[in-house]
Amino acid sequence: MKILNCPINGPRPVQEFVFGGELREMPDPDAATDAEWTDYVYNRNGSPGPRREWWYHLASGTWFIAERDTGTNDVKKTYLYGDEIRDEVEHG
Amino acid sequence: MARRLAPRGGEWIDRNRPLEFSFEGKKHTGFAGDTISSALWASGRRLLGRSFKYHRPRGVFSFADHDVNVMVQDRALLNIRADVTPLEGGQKLKAVNTVGGLKMDLGQVNNRLARFLPVGFYYKSFHKPAKLFPYYERLIRSAAGLGSVTPGEGRRHWGKGYGFADVLVVGAGPSGLAAASAAGEAGAKVVLVDENARPGGTLTYAENASGGADGMLADLLERIENNPNVDFRADTVASAHFEEHWVPLVHREHGMTKLRAGSVVVAGGAMEQPAVFRNNDMPGVMLGSAAQRLIHRYAVKPFDRGVVLAANSDAYGVVLDLLKAGVEVAAVADLRHEGEQSELGDAVREAGVRVHTGHCVYEAKAAKKGAGVGGAVIAPLDVQNNAVPSRAFEVGCDGICMSVGWAANAALLAQSGCRLGYSEDLHQFVPAELADGIFAAGRVNGVYRAEDKVRDGERAGTLAARHVGKGGAADAPAEAPRHAGPAPSHPYPVYDHPEGMAFVDLDEDVQLKDIKNSIQEGFDSIALVNRFATLGMGPSQGKHSNTNGIRIVARLMTKTIEETGTITSRPFFHPVPMGVLAGRSFHPARRTPMHRRHEERGAVFMRAGDWFRPEYYAAPGRGREEAILGEVRAVRRGVGLIDVGTLGKLEVAGPDALELVERICTGRFAKLKVGMTRYALMTDEAGTITDDGVCARLSDDHFYLTATTSGVDALYREMTRWVKVWGLDAEVTNYSNAFAAMNLAGPRSRGVLSVLTGLDLSEEAFPYLGVREGAVAGVPARVMRVGFVGELGYEVHVPADAGLHVWDAFTEAGEASGIRPFGVEAQRRLRLEKGHVIVGQDTDGLTNPWEANLGWAVKLDKPFFIGQRTLKILEKKGGEEEQRGGEDRRLIGQRTGDRKLAGFALLDGGEGPRPKECHLVIEDGEIIGRVTSIAHSEALGKVIGLAFLPADRTVGSRFQIRADGGALVDAEVVKVPFYDPDNSRQKGAGQREMTYQGGKA
Amino acid sequence: MPYRLIKYGLSSKHPDKRMFREPSGLKESYEAVIIGAGGHGLAAAYYLARDYGITDVAVLEKGYIGAGGTGRNTAIIRSNYLTPEGVRFYDESIRLFKDLSNDFDLNLFYSERGHFTLAHSDSSIRTMRWRAEVNKHMGVDSEYVEPEDVKAACPPIDLTCGGDAPIMGALYHPPGAIARHDAVAWGYGAGADERGVEIHQGTEVTGIDVKSDRVVGVRTNKGYVKTEKVLSAVAGWTPSIADMVGLRTPLTVRPLQACVTEPLKPFLDKIMVSGSLHVYVSQSSRGELVMGGSTDPYELNSMRSTLEFAEGLSGHMLDLFPFLSNVKILRVWAGLCDMTPDFAPIMGRTPVDGFYIDAGWGTWGFKATPVSGKTMAQTVATDKEPELIDAFRLSRFEDLELTGEKGAASVGH
Repeated sequence: MKILNCPINGPRPVQEFVFGGELREMPDPDAATDAEWTDYVYNRNGSPGPRREWWYHLASGTWFIAERDTGTNDVKKTYLYGDEIRDEVEHG
Repeated sequence: MARRLAPRGGEWIDRNRPLEFSFEGKKHTGFAGDTISSALWASGRRLLGRSFKYHRPRGVFSFADHDVNVMVQDRALLNIRADVTPLEGGQKLKAVNTVGGLKMDLGQVNNRLARFLPVGFYYKSFHKPAKLFPYYERLIRSAAGLGSVTPGEGRRHWGKGYGFADVLVVGAGPSGLAAASAAGEAGAKVVLVDENARPGGTLTYAENASGGADGMLADLLERIENNPNVDFRADTVASAHFEEHWVPLVHREHGMTKLRAGSVVVAGGAMEQPAVFRNNDMPGVMLGSAAQRLIHRYAVKPFDRGVVLAANSDAYGVVLDLLKAGVEVAAVADLRHEGEQSELGDAVREAGVRVHTGHCVYEAKAAKKGAGVGGAVIAPLDVQNNAVPSRAFEVGCDGICMSVGWAANAALLAQSGCRLGYSEDLHQFVPAELADGIFAAGRVNGVYRAEDKVRDGERAGTLAARHVGKGGAADAPAEAPRHAGPAPSHPYPVYDHPEGMAFVDLDEDVQLKDIKNSIQEGFDSIALVNRFATLGMGPSQGKHSNTNGIRIVARLMTKTIEETGTITSRPFFHPVPMGVLAGRSFHPARRTPMHRRHEERGAVFMRAGDWFRPEYYAAPGRGREEAILGEVRAVRRGVGLIDVGTLGKLEVAGPDALELVERICTGRFAKLKVGMTRYALMTDEAGTITDDGVCARLSDDHFYLTATTSGVDALYREMTRWVKVWGLDAEVTNYSNAFAAMNLAGPRSRGVLSVLTGLDLSEEAFPYLGVREGAVAGVPARVMRVGFVGELGYEVHVPADAGLHVWDAFTEAGEASGIRPFGVEAQRRLRLEKGHVIVGQDTDGLTNPWEANLGWAVKLDKPFFIGQRTLKILEKKGGEEEQRGGEDRRLIGQRTGDRKLAGFALLDGGEGPRPKECHLVIEDGEIIGRVTSIAHSEALGKVIGLAFLPADRTVGSRFQIRADGGALVDAEVVKVPFYDPDNSRQKGAGQREMTYQGGKA
Repeated sequence: MPYRLIKYGLSSKHPDKRMFREPSGLKESYEAVIIGAGGHGLAAAYYLARDYGITDVAVLEKGYIGAGGTGRNTAIIRSNYLTPEGVRFYDESIRLFKDLSNDFDLNLFYSERGHFTLAHSDSSIRTMRWRAEVNKHMGVDSEYVEPEDVKAACPPIDLTCGGDAPIMGALYHPPGAIARHDAVAWGYGAGADERGVEIHQGTEVTGIDVKSDRVVGVRTNKGYVKTEKVLSAVAGWTPSIADMVGLRTPLTVRPLQACVTEPLKPFLDKIMVSGSLHVYVSQSSRGELVMGGSTDPYELNSMRSTLEFAEGLSGHMLDLFPFLSNVKILRVWAGLCDMTPDFAPIMGRTPVDGFYIDAGWGTWGFKATPVSGKTMAQTVATDKEPELIDAFRLSRFEDLELTGEKGAASVGH
């Protein structure tokens, strides 16, 4: 069984986790057009490739981000939300 | 025993333990340590099975579980692979898939009709005339299939276990043993597995081929035994390789160990491959290694007079072993024009055996009596490896051994993501690029000499240990050479015959000409040949057939082997029983702290997810309906108590708690007073209702939120995620399992509660929808004046371990008031009388709040909530549709925006057919809606319900519901709440009890 | 009497000719290009050629015929869906399916077995009844039945399911059938091929050229092809193709695993499905039990198998049929499912002129092979969708008009 590294609890079997979908930023609901909004609600990036995703460790209630390739299933890294997002915003 | 040899060193049988069994109704004896086939072969039996399609006679072939010629059934135990299954006393065996027994098998008529049954014949016929197809299909189905199941047989449980190893070594032949030793000596914890009953691999049957292997096996075994780091498991198959070295180890008897390894050494060896020639499937025609296993492990003489078909050194080892076992070797046909130049070749020639170099076996001839081979037709080969039948000659024999080559046992390598390449030197696939943490050693790696195999194993074991951080930095032994000298495999041991029956896949009776014909029909890739001709599709999954199949396709398509490709290797290497995979099957069950009381009270339970909830409490002498009615009356007239502990319960606290609640729920909570509750509705980003509950404000920044039993876990997850994304300073805690909860409902509830608490229950101090914290029955509690059922009532939440005590306290305190427990079904009817919506029953995967009449709980002008933006679009669209008018709408009752939940009552007073939930509303032959809830109401004296109807239907309008059998039942839209429309009973009119109207006493 | 077989016995050479012509190179241009030589793509090619005389068509397949979902599904055919538009659609497919063996003169082993969707809870009972009512209204043979009826039709089943979640009722759908899935692709392929359609295997589309919102050509590993009509029929591979034309879709891809046992003598005539137990099973005419469950719990574009799938499925199978403990699982594989939010397909035109999409087939694609081929052929030929597939248009998500199918797509979600 695949192993995922929970940033808090370390490596755990994937059955202990819930997949939360790709990390996507919500557009400003007031500024977005109807088309932009429904695109956010329904459309997805389904092709294989590296993605940033939400994952939830059921046993400990930990939400975190995983950088996983949806073609090979390789997980490059996992980290708590906020840690690297913040860095990206600051460093562009 | 006709063929049992004298005792020999190293044999696996225990002659002190004879075992009796029967096969096809005849008694036989064997020894402990025998397999079923070795015992049968020892007794002289040669006809051991019938092939799948043509029912041709079959005997031992690979004797390594690479074919299923001998498949037997022992009463309820089916599809037993006799070659590798230990003999047990008392077995009552018969061959599978025969009609009238193995010998007389009526299915053999297929063999005579073979010319009418070519490859894919079933695609070309039996479909016309169409009405006869079911009859033909029945025939085909009964002819197909191997063993039979025994319905009524109980479930067999195996345990499942977990294992951990630094290094897993698959295969305990010379390279595997060496790898395990090296890894263990480097400090790694090693698990070594082998599917055979004993370790040693080729060293247990092919000593000569190993060249001076005397003592090698003993040395290797000693190294293992002396190494506490190595855990050796015999009779254990590494069944597949899954992500991150997760390998199921399946033991013949004990079931499955799910092993996590840090690295894996695949030392699974190579599988001997057959030559393809006419009648190469007759009993007595077998692989060389099969003959050697019979001799060395089970002391069984394979045949009396044999012909050996050779194309490598192993063949000559076979000849020498046969001679030592007293077999007369009438001839060796060596496919190679240059023959065998090694010491083994010399020894064979010196023994006086006639060797025909540059010759093949062109055909096996049947014996005059009995099933099985009686002679070999040997033909010379021209320089292009074509047989020249005109110069063929026949040699009498009762056995033909084929030793013409090997295929890497690379299934686990392929499954783990290694890339395999075809070596034109070795004529086999070898690892070209290994996946991370995977190592290969021995024959699977293209290494064939015994000493080389050991070195290769040590190298791989050292590297595997190093991969997990064990062992020093010293150099690993150099990579052993892939086999030098003559190739161990012939590139194309395939000899066509005008009369056919040259088999490539013995499981499926696929002949050489079938592959040619498939390609002729346009199925010209290995994958399409696999699917059309069923090559490799049988129970051996191509172990003895894929290699020749690929070679044949490559040659016919004029492509290289690499260009042709292979058939994907999939789990499981050897098939695994479902019972082994299932283990003991745990079924989780969740119970509230009051469960025992419900049982004592005669509760009939229902499942809500994993939870057990009382559906109703059985009353002695009364049926289900009466019991439920009794519960309903108790609530309306007196007081009832329901266990609602399965409810979701979340606490939200912190400076941003209100902000979080506002963003998650559709309603406004900013002005909710401390000490009050409000209905809470949640939608997802698509505006669909996901959950609902009650939100209680305990302080400015502390909220207590209830949710549905099945929805709370997801709600909790979503809320904690949004907290992170929005960077809110709020904590959400899931108390669902920490609190028990019960709802006390009915006109007498206040009186009962007052006995157990010091809280001021007066209307002024504790109004409808209020929440108070205080002691109930001496236990700290949260009490909310809410309820689903439309009566004065209180929901009491207490710590779970006090739940039983508080329940008992209510039961005692309420006795004088006639308190009764009530279940989910009674609650459903009570809430229906109030027109309350149950999320998941009255709503579906698309319902938005307006359709559910919950628009009042949605405040679109709030700054933000989840789903708001979508609901705004829907609202706009709804307005546009209204303007467009009714003609444009397609009223199919399920399109969003067109429908609304409406209360209704049947017009017939409940006398006629009773519609059920999900019966449809029909108008002018069209579906315009659907019933979501329906029940008879005693209080109202009618059948009431909720249904989706077109949004424009007003109170008083009529419609029809199609009930069972197509009867149309008339109904009328009615205002909700049906019962107590002003909600005055819930709100409580001072201390005065409301009298209960209607119904029998 | 299968007279056809006599010719095999009487000829010295195998008499059957190629079903698909010898491959040749790609031409410079085609009137239409279909991406994907699975059942859907080949069916569309067949109907384009047969019904519209459009034969200047190339079907481009990066693997071999039927390498995708067509070769991997568990071959269940049914029309007992939840919505009227769904029922109408799949029922038309069944109607077409029944004639296919005759049309192709190829035995597809279309075998009407009867299909049971088991209910183990109150809410499940309601959903089954809902489906039964809609089915009956649309003229499709389905009914809600009691546990005794399930037992009578399938005597070996354990109604108590190991004691945990007993069977409380079922949706019974007599027309439920199984068929030889590969042969469906072969039949459509041969039929299209004989009418002039070119099938190019081993030919991978690497790009699609769009100018002014209109398709102008297709780039492949075997050359460039000019065309103004491209039909994408690649199911689990759709997102990559959609990216090539800059098209946004709701599709996410999940593996769906399946497995077979060793062949057994016949004992199971019906097709049994349990949503709660996440398992469905039928017995093929070869005698193997063909079994599947839910999709994997996270997005992945890989056809690897997991042990958890086999463990879970085995446990649930033994709940239903405890006597199968010794029956061995022979092979486990997977296919890719392109999932939509409303468990209905995506079919029809797109904002890119000349680019047509046949996708969103999730776990419900094989049964729709004939009707999808027929309706997509019409769409490509006339540049307009037939009413039968109007509910499945791509724009429905933007318009917030999703179908209501979520309750009916068996187990696979």
